Amino acid sequence: MTAPATAPPASAAPPPPRDAAPSLERRRAIRGPYLLLLPAIGILLVGMGYPTVWQVVTSLQEFGLQQQFGRPAPFIGFENYAALATNAQFWGVVLKSIAFCLITAVVTLVVGIALALLMNAVARAPRLILQIALLLAWSMPVVAAMTVWIWLFDRRRGAVNYLLDAVPGIDMNRFNWLESPSTFFAVASIIVIWMSVPFVSFSTFAGLTQISGEVMEAAALDGASSWQRVRGIILPMIRPVIAIVFLLQIIWDLRVFTQITMLQDAGSKSGEFDLLGTFIYKLGTKSQDFGMASAVSILVLGITIALSWFYIRGLVKDDET
Amino acid sequence: MTNRTARRLLGGLAVAVAIVWAFPIYWMVNSSLLPNTTLQSFVPTFVPFGGSLGNFREALADGSFYAALGMSVSITLIAVFFCILFAFLAAVAISRFRFRGRKSFVIAVLIVQMLPAEGLFIAQYKMVSSAGLLDSVIGVSIIYVAAVVPFTVWMLRGFVAGIPVDLEEAAMVDGLSRFGAFMRITFPLLAPGLVASGVYAFLQAWNEFTVALVLLPSEAAQTLPLWLRGFVQASATRETDWGQVMAASTLVAVPVIVFFLIVQGRLTSGLVSGAVKG
Amino acid sequence: MNKRISAVATAAVAALVMAGCASGDTGSSADEGTDITLWLNGGDTPDELREFLKKEYADQAGGTLTIEEQSWTDALAKLTTALPDAENTPDVVEIGNTWAPTFTYAGAFTDLTDMYEELGGDKLLPSFVEVGAVDGADYALPYYFGSRYMFYRKDVWSQAGVAAPTTLGEFNAAAAALASADRSGFYIGGEDWRNGVSWIFANGGELAVQEGDEWHSSLSDPATIKGLAQLQALFASASRAPVTESDSTPWVNLNNNESTGAPEAATIMAPGWAHWSIGDLAPDPEDSTTLVPTWNDATFGTFVLPGTDGGIAPVFAGGSNIAISAASEKQDAAKELMRIIFSEDYQTMLGENGLGPANLDYASSLGDDQFATALIESASTSKLTPAAPGWAAVEGSGLLEEFFGKVNGGGDIAALAKEYDAKIDELING
Repeated sequence: MTAPATAPPASAAPPPPRDAAPSLERRRAIRGPYLLLLPAIGILLVGMGYPTVWQVVTSLQEFGLQQQFGRPAPFIGFENYAALATNAQFWGVVLKSIAFCLITAVVTLVVGIALALLMNAVARAPRLILQIALLLAWSMPVVAAMTVWIWLFDRRRGAVNYLLDAVPGIDMNRFNWLESPSTFFAVASIIVIWMSVPFVSFSTFAGLTQISGEVMEAAALDGASSWQRVRGIILPMIRPVIAIVFLLQIIWDLRVFTQITMLQDAGSKSGEFDLLGTFIYKLGTKSQDFGMASAVSILVLGITIALSWFYIRGLVKDDET
Repeated sequence: MTNRTARRLLGGLAVAVAIVWAFPIYWMVNSSLLPNTTLQSFVPTFVPFGGSLGNFREALADGSFYAALGMSVSITLIAVFFCILFAFLAAVAISRFRFRGRKSFVIAVLIVQMLPAEGLFIAQYKMVSSAGLLDSVIGVSIIYVAAVVPFTVWMLRGFVAGIPVDLEEAAMVDGLSRFGAFMRITFPLLAPGLVASGVYAFLQAWNEFTVALVLLPSEAAQTLPLWLRGFVQASATRETDWGQVMAASTLVAVPVIVFFLIVQGRLTSGLVSGAVKG
Repeated sequence: MNKRISAVATAAVAALVMAGCASGDTGSSADEGTDITLWLNGGDTPDELREFLKKEYADQAGGTLTIEEQSWTDALAKLTTALPDAENTPDVVEIGNTWAPTFTYAGAFTDLTDMYEELGGDKLLPSFVEVGAVDGADYALPYYFGSRYMFYRKDVWSQAGVAAPTTLGEFNAAAAALASADRSGFYIGGEDWRNGVSWIFANGGELAVQEGDEWHSSLSDPATIKGLAQLQALFASASRAPVTESDSTPWVNLNNNESTGAPEAATIMAPGWAHWSIGDLAPDPEDSTTLVPTWNDATFGTFVLPGTDGGIAPVFAGGSNIAISAASEKQDAAKELMRIIFSEDYQTMLGENGLGPANLDYASSLGDDQFATALIESASTSKLTPAAPGWAAVEGSGLLEEFFGKVNGGGDIAALAKEYDAKIDELING
């Protein structure tokens, strides 16, 4: 596109082609980009570099409490990893975490997109009401939100049991949600979905507002049903948003920690209720096996990369063009 | 006409969903206003008639809330500021320049944030403690900035790429310096993107509690999440005083909600211009 | 290892003494002492005692004592990171008696053998001294002890016509008879191994045994299995508590419930200080929105858990040890604080507040009311957890909660015992 000679209005300029080739002059500025990257790389090296290296090294050591108090830590090669590979409990936790992560991320995405479509379809007043409600949920600090949810699901005085019990034919009096892993993770999933849907909805809604009204009207005139319009026009146009949001949900849900820890505080700390985050934390703080905890962290990193490979690959390809 | 009915029905649905979504927050505020004697009942009270601010007074009584609030605000402000600054510079570098190592940087940034933080606390403690920064705002802030920068770089990268280079160049033709062109033209267009990523950084720093737990061992240096958790734990040694706990939760939530309402407009427009371009 | 630790400690002390002399020579005023930090766990030490320590320390050593309370949940993570760190370590720490062996073995504490006699010598609670000692050197000394006994509703028991039990079998039967759909005859959480272990002890079982230098989990021992089977039957017949509940707040169930006006438990087992939370509920005169319990002898009573053939069933000894961080650079000042803690005044104050004093000479300060009697009686046969180097890791891993929860959930005891023996053996030797 050709640039206007005067400054453009501050409102959104139409997006240029993504891979707009940089000008020659920029290509020559060799030092510039490195200087710009310096602060970010610096803080990453300081804040994450040392801990990450420590973790890799420790995962190859026998490192327990005595090492923490200054005993030398013997290198044991890949023994920690080997022990993990044959540890059925660990693989149980991995599978549970992946299942929890995928189910939660998919439901979050579906509900989030549905609510975005709903926002797009209704009049101004109900839309505003829905947006404010979602905004409130989004802004709740995790610790505060967890405290409220635990109180809602309280076995004896929780509002959830009271309301369900009021439905004729359902006996939920004193039903203990946190007693069996299946209901425990269902509750955890509900809470995570409640917290994450607003982000998905707002991002998707933002994407929807970019779709021009003319296209939609034309499609409607052509006799496309609303479902056809959603599938044929809307979804393809917001696909980039959905891809990012889904990746983020996977990364976040796989590492979900605060929610599980706090639910465990209210219910049981037993291993059946662990996901990867709490599993690692317990290995470190409670069993004081830091070598093993580090090995698990590295493996979790590997799993996350594997799960998100589709996106990383796409990104790299995108970059090469 | 059927169209109009459908719209009405959908409107009703939207309001119903809103009620369900906001219920936990309503419940928190409702319970925070009720005396514990009422909350002890097996029959929940749905409206805070006859409520009082007594629970809030109790929760605020020892003044530790204000100290934690100060701590949280300082850490969050510092973390958000540096995070946005560093991420912005990096985003400009990777979206405006082609250079050796660019792709590695992008991938490294992606991967760093996938590392589970729960296993890092000993290393982080050793590092921060050897720098003499335990119990200090700076120590925690450094870790937070490092933890949040990767995603922010990634987010801002889309925004910067979305602003046509031609605009800047045109301004330079008009006689502005490179820097001037950037500040006058590109920066204002980026504002929504900066707000959106700022909100992300804000939420991360404000909510974090595992790192804070280890790096702020002293009671005098608690952040709000630690304060609230401590409050809940202290209450649990007797039968949990839900009224006070809910009042404490409300106190922790209010600053964030206010912040959100302030930036709300820009936040949505930030998502609009940034999200689609990814 | 001991030699190494004591060498380090001695060097540190020597350095400090010299530093102390030097600063004395340069003429700093006498009342300018060293500021030190004490970490206490949870709210078990009452405020009155904390104030006393601060004041005494200021008077005797001239410095400021900072007391920081660590919650039991987070204490392990914080001790693990802070104790080895000379810059930030607390100088004196309270440490749960069950964690004492692990940290002692790891070399976290200063050798206090030289002070042992001065602080009370063999008057100090022997079992607690033992968990804090390695190869005859003392590192972590007893701080206070507690003990568990039974609290019950006299009204409920007499209404049901159930007589006071004299054997464990009678208790199990009585508890089952007192249970109804919405009341536990005996309220115990399924994962509550700290109370449940008494049924193992009473039947002659143990959690772990030492053979030579090695510790082994002994859940599969026939005596342990017998106790677990009794506990499983008792949980099924008498307790309405969630199977996932661990050592939490059972006492709230003994008080009348606000809505129903009846208790949810006829009997509970709890540490002695629980009696402050049990009683007739009435609005707090200072704040009408909260209810405070007042003990009422007509409704509430106590007894110690009887053994299988009468006598007393061993209970799990609660309480804490106290030690000086080996990494602390203020060893002398920390020792000064230890002297204050082990002084007659402070030991007596512990007793007066219902905490068993470390020095048994002052046990009489507990008084002679029913709580003191029950505490002393149950403490007389109480047992500690195994003094194995890896015990803190075993406890921290949550394996015992998991095991007891599965047993009380109706699992196959022999199979579970075998499974968890293997898991615990991996951790128990550190």
